[in-house]
Amino acid sequence: MERRSFIKLLGLCSILLPGSLRELFAAQGPVVAVSQGSDHAAAARKAIAALGGMPRFVKAGQTVVVKPNIGWDRAPEFAATTNPAVVKALVEECLKAGAKKVKVFDRTCNDARRCYASSGIEAALKGMKNVEVKHLEEERFKKLALNGKALKDCELYGEAISADVYINVPVAKHHGLSRLTLGMKNVMGIMGGNRGSIHKNLDQALADVNSHFKPQLTVIDATRILTAHGPQGGNLADVKVLNQVIASTDMVAADAYATTLFGLKPSDIAVTRTAYQRGLGEMNLDRIRVVKA
Amino acid sequence: MKLPRTPRISQLFFLLLFLILFLMTEYRGSDRIVAAVNGFFRADPLTAVSSMLAVKGYLPLLFPGLLVLALSLILGRFFCGWICPLGTLLDLATGRIGKLGPVRALQGSAKYWLLFPLLFASLFGLNLAGLFDPIAILLRALTFFFHPLLGETARGGWKSLYGLIGDRRDFLDPGYHLLRDYLLPFRETLYPLAFLSALLFFLVLFLERYEKRCWCRRLCPLGTLLGLVSRFGPLRRVPAKLCPDCRACREHCPTSFDRELLQMDECILCLQCALNCPSQRVCFDFRGMRPEAGPVMERRVLLGGLLGGFVLARTFRFREPEAKARMLRPPGVRAEGEFLEKCVRCGECMKVCLRSALYPALLQAGPEALYTPVLVPRLGYCEYNCTLCGQVCPTGAIPDLAVGAKRREVIGKAVFDKNHCLPFAKRVDCIVCEEHCPIPQKAIRSELVELTGFQGEKLQVKQPYVVSELCNGCGICENVCPLEAKSAIEVFAVKDRTPLPPPADAPSAPAPPSQPGGAPPDPYGR
Repeated sequence: MERRSFIKLLGLCSILLPGSLRELFAAQGPVVAVSQGSDHAAAARKAIAALGGMPRFVKAGQTVVVKPNIGWDRAPEFAATTNPAVVKALVEECLKAGAKKVKVFDRTCNDARRCYASSGIEAALKGMKNVEVKHLEEERFKKLALNGKALKDCELYGEAISADVYINVPVAKHHGLSRLTLGMKNVMGIMGGNRGSIHKNLDQALADVNSHFKPQLTVIDATRILTAHGPQGGNLADVKVLNQVIASTDMVAADAYATTLFGLKPSDIAVTRTAYQRGLGEMNLDRIRVVKA
Repeated sequence: MKLPRTPRISQLFFLLLFLILFLMTEYRGSDRIVAAVNGFFRADPLTAVSSMLAVKGYLPLLFPGLLVLALSLILGRFFCGWICPLGTLLDLATGRIGKLGPVRALQGSAKYWLLFPLLFASLFGLNLAGLFDPIAILLRALTFFFHPLLGETARGGWKSLYGLIGDRRDFLDPGYHLLRDYLLPFRETLYPLAFLSALLFFLVLFLERYEKRCWCRRLCPLGTLLGLVSRFGPLRRVPAKLCPDCRACREHCPTSFDRELLQMDECILCLQCALNCPSQRVCFDFRGMRPEAGPVMERRVLLGGLLGGFVLARTFRFREPEAKARMLRPPGVRAEGEFLEKCVRCGECMKVCLRSALYPALLQAGPEALYTPVLVPRLGYCEYNCTLCGQVCPTGAIPDLAVGAKRREVIGKAVFDKNHCLPFAKRVDCIVCEEHCPIPQKAIRSELVELTGFQGEKLQVKQPYVVSELCNGCGICENVCPLEAKSAIEVFAVKDRTPLPPPADAPSAPAPPSQPGGAPPDPYGR
């Protein structure tokens, strides 16, 4: 090789180097812990343990919100609401990590009393000390300026905003408009006002809200998933039992992995794609480190 | 302090029972309601008689009412003096109300002019008795006026407290939750007939201004019916007339001793005369001689009642077609005529409705349907898994159905208005209605359509459509439609309310696991 061409090559390399260096030394892609087991509470615990255990997220004396999906008046086996065993295991882990108080709530679509009862979540957490399972009270919604692409502002639930730790616990299921509803869409359960109106630009609107309000941890309940007629289902033929729990600090990565359970690609889901494009998290599966627990 | 005596103890007991049952007529975390205030209506002879006249048959649910009627034949109007919660309230209030003396217009046969047209109208198929039934008057005043007022006030205060002290209000949570869980209505609902309901109640109370128990004695159709029956019974007060040396009964008797002779059809057996008699002469027994009581009523009252009832039943039927199209009845009501015959307009279904979807009809269904329940989807929808209205209906006008059967009952059918619906009119995505449709196979579906946007760009939009054969008209789609004011999907009444076919491929509940050696552990930790 001639000296001149060597220098040229060196020069070219020096241009490319920063990029490759970044790839080499930058923090590795997000970790998504995936656990499996027919004991759903144990599966949830294993997934959290694989991320370093609940003490990584919850410190003594903190107030924690565990936000499941309690949106519909359906029994747990219909996969329209989050598995109460998973919710309970997470709440117990939070308490074990020293949480002062754990609050569990959701803005329901059907009657709140029936949803809380039918989902089994109210009963599962009944009588636990320092655990609150309350219906939402409209005066607690706070208006936040978002200045996003689709939403200028939105109302979010005060107790969710003021919590020290917010754990997002959606159930993985089909949705008529967004195809799937996962971690990103679960934020709608703490949104006030006319939620339906954000459907006209759902992916951007959800990215707006989620870029402003970020859960510390997302745990997707895929113990059983609803594959059609979502988001409320009602037919066991549409339910597939997978016995999986997915956990990650990167909500988009968790959603991306969960998408594969339905035989879809993360980029098929506009909500996930937009979130990735707007830098909310990783969607490329080859850049996500999946830890089987 | 004077201890309450026998009738008063019974009165207070039944008033308390009434109020407790009223509060229990609400969803309390269980699919079935243990006990509701409907018991009072099932034991109400006026309800029993008017409903059975209207349907021209025997209604087993109302058997207790017939029983009370039969007992009244022997015991007289014990219901009025010992049980009726409205009567008790009047007794409790009357001491504080000065008296002006009887009203001429209400004397004589006024009460028959109220009772007979009502009963004859029932016979001709229009059951209006509930409008003037004392228990219904009280219950409607509570349901539509007092309870919402209490809820509104308490919740308003609780909300403004949050504005004042913010999250520190949490310390007061336990106390408020007790109040909210046991005393307040679940949500603040405003009812269209709140004013009329309160007015009727206060009118009854206002009559106390003229004499004690004026309503009960001069107007109440239930009391009049019981009085008619008790005229023929064996129970007599001894002595039948005022004693010439004392006449204290005049003062103590709340009803009929302003004349010389006690009228058994007005006596409510309050026992005030017996309890207060200075020489303890008064007693009630079954052996007394039948005193001369005068004619029951004139023939013209009976004939007038017959004519009045006929006219009522025939001329109150007008309905505007537009209003009729939106006359959505509670789930399980298939025929309007039969419903009107049985509905006592007590308001229980509206009180218990989980989503506050039922409202009393004003005049949209014609005067004949005043106070009957109408589903207004924009205000509330029929919850898919809820069967409460059928459970509390005292007469079975709304049938008490198992949840699987109730889900298939057709209230109406949903229809899109494409001029308003966003995916059609604005060419943007929405599908909130499809999302909320509770039918497992979805009665609202959508199709992905390629459109050209208003700026000429290519668009893909999901446009919804209704699968009418699957729609039960629950109205959740109309309720949640994100458009302001008018919904882009509306439920309209249909004549043919044949229930939806049972979902062949969709079991309504999972089969319970049956394995030898004990069931496997529940994966959902229940």
